[in-house]
Amino acid sequence: MEGSAVAVCEILKYLIIHWKCETAGTSKGALLEGQLVISMEALNSKHQENTLHCVTTIASAGSIYGGLVLKKFLKEIQSLLPGFSAKLNWTSEEASYSQDISGVTPFQMIFEVDEKPRTLMTDSLVIKNFLHKIVMVHPKIKFNFSVKVNGVLSVEVFGTKNEPTLNLSNGIALVISCRHYVSKPKFATAELLCSRIHPVLGHPVMLFIPDDMVGMGLLGELTLTPAAALCPCPEVFPNQLNRISSVSIFLYGPSGLPLILPGQEQPTTTVFKDTSYFIDWKKYHLCMVPSLDLNLDRGVHTLLTTHLSAILMESHSAVQDSIQVAMDQALEQHHQATKDLQKFQASLSVAVNSIMSIVTGSTSNSFRKICLQALQAVDTQEFGTKLHKSFHDITRHRSLPYCSCETKQQLLPEENAEENTEDVQENSLELLAGTSGQVENKRLQQGLEETRAFLSARGPSQSEAAACRTKPTAASLTPSGSRASPGGDLEDSLWQREVSNLSEWLNPGPEP
Amino acid sequence: MAFAPMGPEASFFEVLDQHRASLLAALRRGGGEPAGRGTRLASSSEVLGSIESVIQGIITSVARNEAPAFTIDNRSSWENIKFEDSVGLQMASHCTTRKIKSDSLKSVKKFALILKILSMIYKLVQSNTYATKRDIYYTDSQLFGNQTVVDNIINDISCMLKMPRISLHILSTSKGLIAGNLRYLEEDGTRVHCTCGSTAVAVPSNIQGIRNLITDAKFLLIVEKDATFQRLLDDSFCNRMSPCIMVTGKGVPDLNTRLLVKKLWDTFHIPVFALVDADPHGIEIMCIYKYGSLAMSFEAHNLTVPAIRWLGLLPSDIKRLNIPRDTLIPLTKQDQMKLESVLKRPYVTCQPFWRKEMEIMADSKLKAEIQALTFLSSDYLSRVYLPNKLKFGGWI
Repeated sequence: MEGSAVAVCEILKYLIIHWKCETAGTSKGALLEGQLVISMEALNSKHQENTLHCVTTIASAGSIYGGLVLKKFLKEIQSLLPGFSAKLNWTSEEASYSQDISGVTPFQMIFEVDEKPRTLMTDSLVIKNFLHKIVMVHPKIKFNFSVKVNGVLSVEVFGTKNEPTLNLSNGIALVISCRHYVSKPKFATAELLCSRIHPVLGHPVMLFIPDDMVGMGLLGELTLTPAAALCPCPEVFPNQLNRISSVSIFLYGPSGLPLILPGQEQPTTTVFKDTSYFIDWKKYHLCMVPSLDLNLDRGVHTLLTTHLSAILMESHSAVQDSIQVAMDQALEQHHQATKDLQKFQASLSVAVNSIMSIVTGSTSNSFRKICLQALQAVDTQEFGTKLHKSFHDITRHRSLPYCSCETKQQLLPEENAEENTEDVQENSLELLAGTSGQVENKRLQQGLEETRAFLSARGPSQSEAAACRTKPTAASLTPSGSRASPGGDLEDSLWQREVSNLSEWLNPGPEP
Repeated sequence: MAFAPMGPEASFFEVLDQHRASLLAALRRGGGEPAGRGTRLASSSEVLGSIESVIQGIITSVARNEAPAFTIDNRSSWENIKFEDSVGLQMASHCTTRKIKSDSLKSVKKFALILKILSMIYKLVQSNTYATKRDIYYTDSQLFGNQTVVDNIINDISCMLKMPRISLHILSTSKGLIAGNLRYLEEDGTRVHCTCGSTAVAVPSNIQGIRNLITDAKFLLIVEKDATFQRLLDDSFCNRMSPCIMVTGKGVPDLNTRLLVKKLWDTFHIPVFALVDADPHGIEIMCIYKYGSLAMSFEAHNLTVPAIRWLGLLPSDIKRLNIPRDTLIPLTKQDQMKLESVLKRPYVTCQPFWRKEMEIMADSKLKAEIQALTFLSSDYLSRVYLPNKLKFGGWI
């Protein structure tokens, strides 16, 4: 990750952790609520060619609980950003040098950097990704993110207004609207039949912290809570064969912040490269081809992120059991639905063949004629084809089994969709795991109580790594080492994913 | 051809002859046999046309973009059954139905299997060949799963098309046996001569096809169990009580055995008696012959013989004959449940003597097999019990 994105992410993390600490004593379990504005304004640099001078502002739109002590804040942020050259300027008057912890404190911070246009684009995509992950577990926090390049403005709001959530404990709630987990649906109509995912929670697992990490300052209790869900909801396409095409794994740390994992070159990343370390995929007749970029969100969150792999390995058996239970439940309905559909199709095949046997074997001209005319077929071969298709079309809109999901307008396939009696809907499997506990480090010694949150490390998207494919898909992500090169695979894949939201980038203003 | 000359004197059958006269008088009063409702024999073209009509209906639904479905009478629901003492259990005219839909996961397989068997029947009728239910099952045992599924669907089709199974060219394997004073020709011309000796003839599989039945029998004895039947054969019962006919269904009777009993009654109107164990199961089997079964109620007119009388073993005989208590068996919980169920059936109300016998059984909580009579003497059944019952009218 480059400088601006790292700085923005670290500042936002600091703010959120601060909120959590401040609200923990007053309203335990309440969701964090607030609004932050992040803006990046870039103009062509007057001093360097092909460079933009970018001013980044982070401000609170409303109030922030408690007061921030500027000196402490700046010192801690600087320690988290050792390689960051820009100067952080706090522009909030009331909070300057204030020790007050009871009043409301508007907050505004600015820093300026010079960077290449491509880098700015990447930074903005990374920040968007980060904001997206935060609002998934902090539904009441809203981010206004704007990027202005040489006068061309792009604004995006990250929030989950009035969306359904699954409340967990200690101020964390998981948004369950599937738009946060999938890109636009394949089928073109108004709304999905069920727009939610239905997470299945595994039982919390106490993680043992290895002795050598305790010595590094990682102390306390750590609990992992996994959750698994299929996306979209299998009820959306009950009449089609569904297959699992990808798995996304989100890891969140305490306070509900996405965990940033260490670099791929480090040997301790085994557990994140090979998910079968915790999940028995063969049980579901799946094989996973890892395609995980561990460096999507590089940075440092806490000591926890550095040593998370080792911690999880230490409690391998318990973690595996907990995750497997959640997975079993999440996939149970999918498997049953697949079996039911196969049974359905097999029965209809028998029915059609039996009818064909009678029609083709009949010596009654009038009977055969009536049958052919009914389906407007010229001969029995065409009759058979049309009969099969008609049965398929009629029964694909059959009554759905009871679904506890919200029901909306029924989905219709695109009219120009290629005829395929085995339309296969791809599902992705979302696995979220959260850690909670009293883990002591410098930042959390402020009195952070036990919280349940989720560890997050972005896995491959739905269009990426496919189950049981022999080669990775085109959109697989590359290690961080190659990210520095402009036009690298990482930037392209990010760009492809976000282009619908940042279409302005396609036609920027004057050449950067 | 003369029959075996052995048998009691003519006076032995006085009571039987009187009984027969009263049965014939009752028939005349009732206007003869009720006209056959429900299923009737159908010609091949009728069967083919009927199946084509069903297929046409399905294709019309499909063409209208509607999911086709079969509408099947609920054959096995008591609420669809009415009782007439001249017929027995039969399906009510307006009975409830159920739909076998093609667009429901629960019923799509049955929908498909009905079509599968319809297509097989179509081919059988077209080719004028026959197959048993077992044959049909084995054409694709994996698809059907088990024999019961096939049996039920065949009955459903028979009920839906209102045609007896034989018209659909589906035979059921006969397990019953006949012995005694009876001759007939099978459909293929085979002459069958049932004897009074120690061997019996298997009930034919095509009852509708037999003709030229000839008998001098004074009565027809339905025997519940094969063991009792064989015992009577060994004791030359048919000769001793000649002229008579004996039939056994070896337990719950199959369709052909029931059809044969019905045919013998319809042809000769001779008294028909049941010899069953004094237990709820035996009573139920006797009721099947007399009044019919729930499952086959749609074919009651072809199967039931309401004129059947209960000859033995009566629960009251147990006490009357001082059958040793240690030969009796306590009723099990299942026996008691079955007895309660039979007592609640609609036909018991018009059989007060039967009800009384069942109440004796319920009160004593004991049952007895016919074989209990051997404790009195080894041939008590064929030499004493049955002859006395028949001579003195010991039936109810």
